[in-house]
Amino acid sequence: MRLNVTVNGERRQADDVWEGESLLYVLRERLGLPGSKNACEQGECGSCTVYLDDVPACSCLVAAGQAEGREVRTVEGLAEGEALDPVQQSFVDAGAVQCGFCTPGLVVAAHDLLDRVPDPSDEEIREALAGNLCRCTGYEKILDAVRTAAGAR
Amino acid sequence: MSTAEDLPVLGAPVDRVDGPLKVTGQAPYPSDVDLPGQAHAALVQSTIAAGRITDLDTTEAEKAPGVLAVLTHHTVPRLPRGPMTSLGVSPPAPLQDDRIRHHGQHVALVVAESREQATAAARLVRVEYAPADPVLDFDDPRAVSVDDPWGLDSHRGDVDAGLASADVTVDAVYTTPDNTNNPLGLFSTLAAWEGERLTVYDATQWPAMVRETLAEVFGVPEVSVRVLSPFLGGGFGAGLRAWPHVILAVQAARDVGRPVKLVLTRPQMFTSVGHRPKGVQRVRLGATADATLVAIEHHSTSLLAVEDDDYEPFAAGSAVAYACPHVVTADRQVRANVPAPVSMRAPAHAQGNFALESAMDELACALDVDPLELRLRNHADVHPALGLPWSSNALRECYAVGAERFGWSRRPARPRSRRDGHWLVGQGMAGVSYPWYQAPSLARVTVTADGGATVASSGMDIGTGTYTVLTQLCAHLLGLPLEQVRSDLGDSDLPEAPQAGGSGLTSALGSAVADACERLLGALLELVRDDPESPLHGSDPEDVVAAGGGLRRRGDPGRGETYAAILARHGRPQLGADGASTPAQPTELGMALAGAFGAHFAEVRVDEDLGLVRVSRVTTVIDGGRILNEKTARSQVIGGVIGGIGMAVFEDTITDPTTGRIANATFGDYLVPVHADVPDLDVTFVGEPDRASALGVKGVGEVGLVGVAAAIANAVHHATGVRVRSLPITLDALL
Repeated sequence: MRLNVTVNGERRQADDVWEGESLLYVLRERLGLPGSKNACEQGECGSCTVYLDDVPACSCLVAAGQAEGREVRTVEGLAEGEALDPVQQSFVDAGAVQCGFCTPGLVVAAHDLLDRVPDPSDEEIREALAGNLCRCTGYEKILDAVRTAAGAR
Repeated sequence: MSTAEDLPVLGAPVDRVDGPLKVTGQAPYPSDVDLPGQAHAALVQSTIAAGRITDLDTTEAEKAPGVLAVLTHHTVPRLPRGPMTSLGVSPPAPLQDDRIRHHGQHVALVVAESREQATAAARLVRVEYAPADPVLDFDDPRAVSVDDPWGLDSHRGDVDAGLASADVTVDAVYTTPDNTNNPLGLFSTLAAWEGERLTVYDATQWPAMVRETLAEVFGVPEVSVRVLSPFLGGGFGAGLRAWPHVILAVQAARDVGRPVKLVLTRPQMFTSVGHRPKGVQRVRLGATADATLVAIEHHSTSLLAVEDDDYEPFAAGSAVAYACPHVVTADRQVRANVPAPVSMRAPAHAQGNFALESAMDELACALDVDPLELRLRNHADVHPALGLPWSSNALRECYAVGAERFGWSRRPARPRSRRDGHWLVGQGMAGVSYPWYQAPSLARVTVTADGGATVASSGMDIGTGTYTVLTQLCAHLLGLPLEQVRSDLGDSDLPEAPQAGGSGLTSALGSAVADACERLLGALLELVRDDPESPLHGSDPEDVVAAGGGLRRRGDPGRGETYAAILARHGRPQLGADGASTPAQPTELGMALAGAFGAHFAEVRVDEDLGLVRVSRVTTVIDGGRILNEKTARSQVIGGVIGGIGMAVFEDTITDPTTGRIANATFGDYLVPVHADVPDLDVTFVGEPDRASALGVKGVGEVGLVGVAAAIANAVHHATGVRVRSLPITLDALL
């Protein structure tokens, strides 16, 4: 099938998409956007989190066809030109990144949290990001980053 | 001459230099790399744990859309096993015969145009087995055991006499389960042959080892093999071996004459790239009534694969943890039809420390002394086996600072004496003496015409911050701003460095970089000293320092010139120097080489009715020698502590006791700590630069994890009065 989808504000088209493909596969393998990561392929780790029509979703659980005609925003679409989004900048500043594999999903999830809750409590942060697994950082600095980003936005 | 005298850049909490790449999704992990014309591969894995393949029918798979090849033991040529590495043997070569050694063993590899086609066709491979009854646990009488696998068993004094002389003894058995490394990044190998030249993008912590292995297995010169791992989605030890799937991807690329990419699935990560092996440990301690240790006996048995090896001397650390006259440590491994284990963050010590430090807590209770006091009274002021002074040791300071920050003195002595509503509150602690480790390393540093510098090494950054600290170190030693230094890592074509593992890379590679900088400055100085046009012409080397992007007269920074100016005048596009480091030799130094030390103080809350365990806060104090970057080092320790919390209360790889299948091989079923589980963490560094390390560095990648499980188990006992000697501590043990 042919898939029409707007990705990071740009209208994109992918041909010969197999019906069983995930949105994550289309982004990574067909549209040249490997920022969203595949780490479990069953919605358990959050590494592939993207916005689908402004709602965060595990793109590994979204069938490609479900994205037809919709808007997708990935980690590659958060920065404005050279300037990092405040969430991205705060992840760098706080030292919230180690290996970085979970980082794109976490950045999108944190971005969404701050869109919904501009000044989240620690409990709200912990709960909102509990679906994004990280094995390196111990999460502590990610909490710091979200607090800092909340102040900067 | 000397380099800059003070340390303005070293130690500073500099932001990770690769941070912007990672937060924007631009860092190329192995699974993100694609090559023109590449095909994709998918594994077929054994559904039995022991036996033989009687029939393997690939007809349907070969006819499936897009399929290019199906590799089986009938098609793969006889390949030699990879070489002996400094960490032990290589894994056996894959698809060499019809024998099944564990559930999840690779039995075929399907190569197709797309990953989806390969995955679909893999399901069409029909495998018939003649199953045998697998050996799956320690107590199977058929199991083969290996005593003292590493020659590390130790005997000091007379442990029986020591125990006989003790006023108080503890004798307890501790068990720890299999844990799976589970880095977030799925391991991936992309292999491309051009004639006899092989390029591999691999999820490895050790590019130089993978290069050596592939050269040997495929019979090509090492110089024709290039292995790249500039970014890795974590490893925690899983990337320390050239696993069978790596060999298979390379063989497949040779077979189909195209680049082949193989990305493991999450379930395959549980069976294909190692795990922390389960173990049973018996610890006997004896002390006199004044809380002086007189005997330590520590025996361990851990589970091993049938035809592979793994370094897990659980008990060895107990020989040097405390001053004690009578000590026996002994390790044993038992071979079973399980996937090969591998180092997982703090191998052996994570498990061994849990047993020893739990037993120390039991001893403190039996003696009716404070657990911290027991440790202080038996502190190893000198290396207990060698009798030599430590190259550095701030363990006492770790205890003192940790106790103060945590508020240990306010802890009631009696278990089950504090509650907050229906939560029972308890506090426990543990000490850590992590071993020293270092391997030889090379590095190259080059100054270029633009006045900047480049560090080059095959060593890689597993996420710890190697890019950042090497950049800091080089900038500091050459007197350059951080922005003018770049580090190129994770490429086996660059000067050989050891693995990112064993908490040893920063010291080894950092020392090699420091050596290269010194040689480079020497070469630059020679250029200017003999050059009448240089403002430094004729200078005494002692009077020249590296500062302000070049060489300067000490005390007279106006007199000097930049590296760019020096290179330009001499018509050189660049000038480089190779550096090396070799591990220190303890006997030559007259001191015992110290690894990191640490102390953890944990508070837990246990629901009295439901048995739920919540870790509410942890105070950790680490002596890691000189800390090159406070921000990245702290992050390492915090990550280690959370790894320890996972080990203590969540992580448990469950093998079906009859089939040998791992029953929880997904992130939904294998529990790891998440954001909502993170307690208040307080991490502090103490101590001095280590005297045996050129940089004073001891490495902090693993020490933060060790001891956390014991501190939590001890806190659970303090909260509830229940001693849990089996990890993970789950609610069923507390009801």
